[in-house]
Amino acid sequence: MKVSLNLIRKYIDLPKNLTDEQIAYDMTLRTVEVEDVENTATKYHDIVVGKILEVKPHPNADKLRICITDIGESSPVQIVCGGSNLYEGQKVVVSKPGAEVVWHGEGEPTVVKETKLRGEKSYGMICASCEVHLGEFFPNEGETEITDLKDFKCKPGDEIAKVFEMDDTVLEIDNKSLTNRPDLWGHYGVARELSAIYDVPLKEQEKFELEKGLPKYNVEIEDTTKCNRYIGVEIDGIYEKPSPMWMQSVLTKTGLRPINAIVDITNYVMVAVGQPMHAFDKTHVSGEKIVVRNAKKNEKLLLLDNNTVNLTTDDLVICDESDVMALAGIRGGKKDSILPETKGIVLEIANFTADTIRNTGRRFAEKTDSAIRYEKGIDTQRVDEGVDLALRLIKEIFPESKIIKYADVYPNKTQKNQIQVSEEFLDVRLGKKIPQEKITQILTSLGYEIKYKNGEYSVTVPTWRSTGDVTIKDDVMGDIARILSFDSFEAKPIDITVEHSVKQNDVALDRKIREYLSNRCGFYEIYTYPWIDKKYIKAAGVDLKQSIKLATPPAPELAYLRSSLVPGMLEAVYKNLRYYESFRLFEGKQVYRKGDYRPSSDDEILPVQTNYLTGCIVGKNAKEIFYEAKGVIENMARNCQMEELELKQVKKPKWADINAYLNIVKNGETIGTLGLVSVQTMANTKIKRTNVAMFEMNADKLVAYESRTNEYERLPELPLVEKDLSIVVDKSVTWKEIEGCIESLVKEVEFVDEYNGGQIPDDKKSITLKVRMINEGTTMTSDEINAKINKILKVLNDKCQATLRT
Amino acid sequence: MKEKLEQIRTNGLEKIKNTKIMSELEEIKKELIGKKSELSKVLKSMSTLAPEEKKTIGMLATQIKTTFTEKVQQKEEEIISKMSVLDEPIDLSIPGKKVTEGALHPITQMKYDLNDAFLSLGFEIYNEDDISSEKYAFDNLNFAKNHPARQSMDTYWIAGTEDKSGAERLCLRPHLTGGSVRYLLEHGAPARFVYPGGAFRNETTDARHERAFIQYEALIVDKDISFSSGMVMIQTILEKVFGRKINTRMREGFFPFTEPGYEIDMECLVCGGKGCKVCNHNGWIEVMPGGVIHPNVLRSANLDPEEWTGFYINIGLDRLVMMRYGVDDVRLFHSTDLRFLKQFK
Repeated sequence: MKVSLNLIRKYIDLPKNLTDEQIAYDMTLRTVEVEDVENTATKYHDIVVGKILEVKPHPNADKLRICITDIGESSPVQIVCGGSNLYEGQKVVVSKPGAEVVWHGEGEPTVVKETKLRGEKSYGMICASCEVHLGEFFPNEGETEITDLKDFKCKPGDEIAKVFEMDDTVLEIDNKSLTNRPDLWGHYGVARELSAIYDVPLKEQEKFELEKGLPKYNVEIEDTTKCNRYIGVEIDGIYEKPSPMWMQSVLTKTGLRPINAIVDITNYVMVAVGQPMHAFDKTHVSGEKIVVRNAKKNEKLLLLDNNTVNLTTDDLVICDESDVMALAGIRGGKKDSILPETKGIVLEIANFTADTIRNTGRRFAEKTDSAIRYEKGIDTQRVDEGVDLALRLIKEIFPESKIIKYADVYPNKTQKNQIQVSEEFLDVRLGKKIPQEKITQILTSLGYEIKYKNGEYSVTVPTWRSTGDVTIKDDVMGDIARILSFDSFEAKPIDITVEHSVKQNDVALDRKIREYLSNRCGFYEIYTYPWIDKKYIKAAGVDLKQSIKLATPPAPELAYLRSSLVPGMLEAVYKNLRYYESFRLFEGKQVYRKGDYRPSSDDEILPVQTNYLTGCIVGKNAKEIFYEAKGVIENMARNCQMEELELKQVKKPKWADINAYLNIVKNGETIGTLGLVSVQTMANTKIKRTNVAMFEMNADKLVAYESRTNEYERLPELPLVEKDLSIVVDKSVTWKEIEGCIESLVKEVEFVDEYNGGQIPDDKKSITLKVRMINEGTTMTSDEINAKINKILKVLNDKCQATLRT
Repeated sequence: MKEKLEQIRTNGLEKIKNTKIMSELEEIKKELIGKKSELSKVLKSMSTLAPEEKKTIGMLATQIKTTFTEKVQQKEEEIISKMSVLDEPIDLSIPGKKVTEGALHPITQMKYDLNDAFLSLGFEIYNEDDISSEKYAFDNLNFAKNHPARQSMDTYWIAGTEDKSGAERLCLRPHLTGGSVRYLLEHGAPARFVYPGGAFRNETTDARHERAFIQYEALIVDKDISFSSGMVMIQTILEKVFGRKINTRMREGFFPFTEPGYEIDMECLVCGGKGCKVCNHNGWIEVMPGGVIHPNVLRSANLDPEEWTGFYINIGLDRLVMMRYGVDDVRLFHSTDLRFLKQFK
């Protein structure tokens, strides 16, 4: 919304020493966000009134004239001009050298220079209205004409900005910050705020005295739950003509286009006091009757642009005896427009409920200025302000006009809210004591009526804040705090009472795991969206039956919410393979499945939501990345201080390789899987020329230790004897079997590596292992060591048919 | 004999002096003072000499041996001090071996920074689930029945529930604030906690707008506290994030779940508050909304607003991270693009 400070000054006297920027800042802090401060005179600099003293032909050009022009300087200047309507004595708009003009009203502004046109000197230019931002004031100007100021009170040298009352400052207010303040959608309301901020009086609005004993206009409100008040005034002697310049100026500055005097008056009233209104040509209201009712089934409204709106029975419409004329509070139909033949009008100043307007308004892409205001919930008393101002303006602009009939149907009046606020409440919540006089001043200037007795303020909320905005004492406290400015309250320290330190093992574990994966294991954490491309869900073989869908997804293929993190991870792998060939990614997020879950109250049944953790290692060597991933899982428990995980084959998820997978098991329950991504899944996701080792687990099943648990082991007094053995076994023999043979014979046994190829036969593999041995109490002799090694080899040979590699 | 010894000394010292390699020095040492050295031979043949001569020659020979031993030792030290463990030249400009790669998401990093700060103020960390209901996302928070955010164009409703209402109408949470009532219902008051997480809104995306964004919200509920204590939380956050005190201002703002509500702006760090393109020429950047918890919200949490009060602050982590690093496109956070993620260690 745009606010003209000149219009504001009609309602209050702003303190003299304030800059416009300061006003904008004070309002931003206390009332609404001012997004921009525009000096509207700036674009008219060096543009003045000129009077043509003499028009002479141009020696070298037929269409150009030489105008000797008085521009209020010591001597007249010579300006070359091509206008078709030049005459001696004409008052014109002169752009002096240095002014900025828009050539023929199109494109970027250019700076006027003193120049020669076809050999004749020209000091600036005589302009058409569209070239100097005055187009709105001269809608009928011909294409070759220059602007004629004959109807304006002005003299040579006068600044054009002043002549057109454009020497003003316009504040651009963020509409979003106005949503809860219906009273600020007019200048009078904004002036009231400023009167509170600066403690200056707000001028009262003038009343209009209606003639006594006027006949009643026929107005009928059928649905009084949607229309709180309707004033209809029939006025004769109204016709189409331009509105006065000062009014056009205000409308232009506040972003509205002047149309004709009657439409401009309705718009001006809306801008000034925030009350929308509407004018019907009286001859279009058949039966001299206005009915406010819900639309009937299959009823239609023809709009000005010849589009029709299909109405529903929820839509409130303004009708005459037979037809729908307008959508109440939103827009008029074709039938009600003011035309050149208009001789009289019926003026509507009404109050429609916010819900009604919002419901119907939703159907249109663009909100009308009227609908925007009604949607916020206007008080019914504002209608009075609207009527008074409108009728005063009509009398002023159409002195010959006459009010014929009048009706005020007023089924519901906005009631003032009553609130009790204790002094103690204000002291505590505001954090400091505000003197009673100050509180009284602030609230009174905002329109509250207050009585103080025994530490209690009895507060009567003004009607314009009683439509939902101010209902409880906290609202009153908020008004006091903001007018004083939140910034004027010092930051108070927060007391910390230490009963116990914050201990949240599950929260800490989540962080330990993420830090383990990223800082120790070289994974990068990714964030994916909760909705997943169906293509990847299918590729991962995730069952969609249990998946949750969005009613209005971001895109048709993104309707399903994740029930596994694997599809999203596959997509991330696919995307990153364009730039990297080996990398590690992980993600910890929630997944969702159909089911019953009541986190907070019995009536709320949510789907099952589980925290999952997934990660992947991408690289060419499948076996290598599998073991790397396995290592990440095996070492997680120890590194993150959580209960151990077990790895064994239980059930293969669809995405995993038929051989290379292990389930992650905790206390006998399968909570996830580690495996290579299957050939099938990779083909479906177009992951090529590489391999992916993936793991996924239910992170809610991981249990943090209360504290670190490993025990200290006494250091051995004697050194351990370490021996490496390379054995050859059948490919089918597992490490677990080999380890099982040796475990009981030595202190420690460790896998070193597996080797194929070379002299090893195709059906065999070589395993290198390390054993560590110790004798209790004495150093092992070489005989004892050899005996032990031989025993190990014998057991391995007996159970696994292992031979020593030579 | 004496001349011979002098000869041995001169030759020997010359040899020691000229050698530069350890192995050669070992040889020289053997040759000069070893068992088969000339000097040893001289010493062995001493018995054949006259007593007078024995004494002077003996002394001289011993003296030469001592000199040799000393010089060899000196030379050894000299050579060792010039030796490298490498037998080849080393290119010092080759980059060192990388330490483990990998990093947390930049938003997670920011979240942990803030968690640490709030933990020191005794705040707990709470995580609400992503899917919530209209009751918790809107009703409990004093949103008007006809608030536009309840419509399908703003919030991601779950298919099959979109036409229901209240606890039966489910959605991906449009903000974190609903979690505050869940926590309070569970833990009661007094309470102080933060609840970071993802929120989701049906928006058209561009460099500044996302459908999924990460927020960080903090709430204190206690007795008899003033709204100005909320400023401490704000300063805590900004100091943690930017490493120094940041000028802020608090201004009027409106949210259904607060009364009064405020917007907190921070001084634009790009221009230092003078006004530039980044801050839309007014020197301030909107960073977080906040406010005093609305009595109706306390009622939803079964708390008596006559007894309890409190305040919220909410920060868009995406925005804060963008400011911390100068990231110019919010969509990068969910891009999973390693070229982006590798920049934040």
